[in-house]
Amino acid sequence: MRAGPSQEEIRRHNLGALLRHVHLGGPTSRAELTSRMGLNRSTIMALTADLTAAGLVREELPRETGRAGRPSLVVRPESARVYVFALDVGVDRLVAARVGLGGTIIDRREAVRRRGPFSLEEVVGPLAAFARQMHRKTRPDTVCVGVAAAFSGGVDRGDGVVRFGPNMGSVDVPFGEEMARRLGLGLPVAVGNDANLAALAEHTRGVGVGCRDLVYLHGDVGVGGGVIVNGTLLGGHQGFGGEVGHMVVNPKGRSCGCGSLGCLEAEVGERALLEAAGRFDGSGALVGRDAVRAVVDAADRGDIVAQAALSRVGDWLGLGVANLANIFNPEMVVFGGMLREVYLGSAAQVRSRLATDALPPVREHLRLRTSALGDDATLVGAAELAFAQVLADPLEVLARAGS
Amino acid sequence: MTPVLELRGIDKSFGPVQVLHDVSFSVYPGEVTALVGDNGAGKSTLVKCVGGIHPIDSGDYLFDGKPVQVHSPREAAALGIEIVYQDLALCDNLDIVQNMFLGREHKRGLVLDEDTMEEMAAKTLESLSVRTVKSIRQHVSSLSGGQRQTVAIAKAVLWNSKVVILDEPTAALGVAQTAQVLELVRRLADQGLAVVLISHNMNDVFAVSDRIAALYLGRMAAQVKTSEVTHAQVVELITSGRSGDLGLTNGVPA
Repeated sequence: MRAGPSQEEIRRHNLGALLRHVHLGGPTSRAELTSRMGLNRSTIMALTADLTAAGLVREELPRETGRAGRPSLVVRPESARVYVFALDVGVDRLVAARVGLGGTIIDRREAVRRRGPFSLEEVVGPLAAFARQMHRKTRPDTVCVGVAAAFSGGVDRGDGVVRFGPNMGSVDVPFGEEMARRLGLGLPVAVGNDANLAALAEHTRGVGVGCRDLVYLHGDVGVGGGVIVNGTLLGGHQGFGGEVGHMVVNPKGRSCGCGSLGCLEAEVGERALLEAAGRFDGSGALVGRDAVRAVVDAADRGDIVAQAALSRVGDWLGLGVANLANIFNPEMVVFGGMLREVYLGSAAQVRSRLATDALPPVREHLRLRTSALGDDATLVGAAELAFAQVLADPLEVLARAGS
Repeated sequence: MTPVLELRGIDKSFGPVQVLHDVSFSVYPGEVTALVGDNGAGKSTLVKCVGGIHPIDSGDYLFDGKPVQVHSPREAAALGIEIVYQDLALCDNLDIVQNMFLGREHKRGLVLDEDTMEEMAAKTLESLSVRTVKSIRQHVSSLSGGQRQTVAIAKAVLWNSKVVILDEPTAALGVAQTAQVLELVRRLADQGLAVVLISHNMNDVFAVSDRIAALYLGRMAAQVKTSEVTHAQVVELITSGRSGDLGLTNGVPA
């Protein structure tokens, strides 16, 4: 049997908790931290002093309080000094960003990725170059405390290896390891599934703040997802959990990149929509978000082929959401990536399906929302993954990074 | 949950023409209520009765559960009811701040309190997560359709309103701007306001509404939860006033 947590463990936990409050909530007064964290004033003062000494936060007088009495000092994250690198590997784009503590994107670089056979070098090379460019522009007193990447594929929780990525054409790629080697920052690169990370981002900084149970659906070329149950991402045994895009909704349906038939992804993904709208010619002339938007736009202008395509896709999407609602009873379902446009353009079908196929008590209080972070959801999720370590043990991680 | 705005048995005639028959309508805080119906079903008249433009002939008008008399738009505004009409009623030659405070300007002594107004306008736009407008001192003539709609909605929200009624806010917009306005409509309700959305677009209605009220030839065919109905049922209610067990029987509510 283990004894209770030691003084040192409690302090570490409290430091992390305070830093998390400021990181997610922005500048917060000491008085507010005291009431939110349920600790007494002198403890909050000691914790802030430690974090200030480490250069993670800064205390200053508030501008105006409008109230009588001595104002409580405001604790701000040192966004300009402490940062992480967040990377996003999508089918059509590569993004690298420098994100300050507190979640502000300070600098970002983006490149278009051409669809085709997967090559580790073609992904790692540009991202490493972007990170180096941004690193060179930083002042000497800044410190990088983590690197993480959102990858469009299934990531093994054990070793961070991308085990599958049907839309990327990648299998068993040691992406994190190679990325860390090429960056040469002496930091490991954490890797997560892009839709999982986007789900967490919407949960901590987006439309799902304060929502304990939510299902996030992410439309890129395929359809990914993240399921948050009681505030925690459902990872499953090895971290492949939440692959809602490969839930079979139509057993005699269209063939999917994974080899199966009638997966949600095969019925509502980009290709399904474009083919139904008669806009898929295989030459790849117009693909991606722009092509999806063009279909929604055409439907809005009265193009009946585009309307029929959206209606069909919306019907399958509604069936998928109804299944997920019945299984997880979420408070909220969030449509992100290109599914934002698809949902808004086919909501009548999606919700008709829900009305007929989801259980009455499950659908009654279900809220359907579109992503608040938009195209940045995956990148913000990667940044949060990169910050995870410093939020768990602020002083130790900072000491290591600074040395 | 008690409705913030409730109408019971409203009748309204223009001379010999009766346009609203025994209409009941409830609007709840934190929810988007979609008001649907064919052209001439009485949507605009109902909204104008709520807004105090048309006096009602008979029926009860309750606000926060208490019976009230609303005889003018000013009285409706004083209760916390704001209506954004299709034409938006914005002045092209004024900037965003001037438009938001038009007719209700803040004064400091004899002069206008520009600083306070600017700050309040900026705060309101920020609370609605509006990031598409470059400067709040921009003339409205330089804004796109979606941005104008956003300013008109922000103007309605500025006055601590409790009920915001939007008449076809997406009718003249492209897809990208429609999406932004729909998300704004949803955010208003999520912040606790009662929102009424008048729309002919069933995707817009289903995308953001919690309840749907369908008018048919001047009668309220049904007011239902959006989670309980299908697209086909709502279309039937609009076109025939009836769908299965829902709606009117021989022209009278069930």
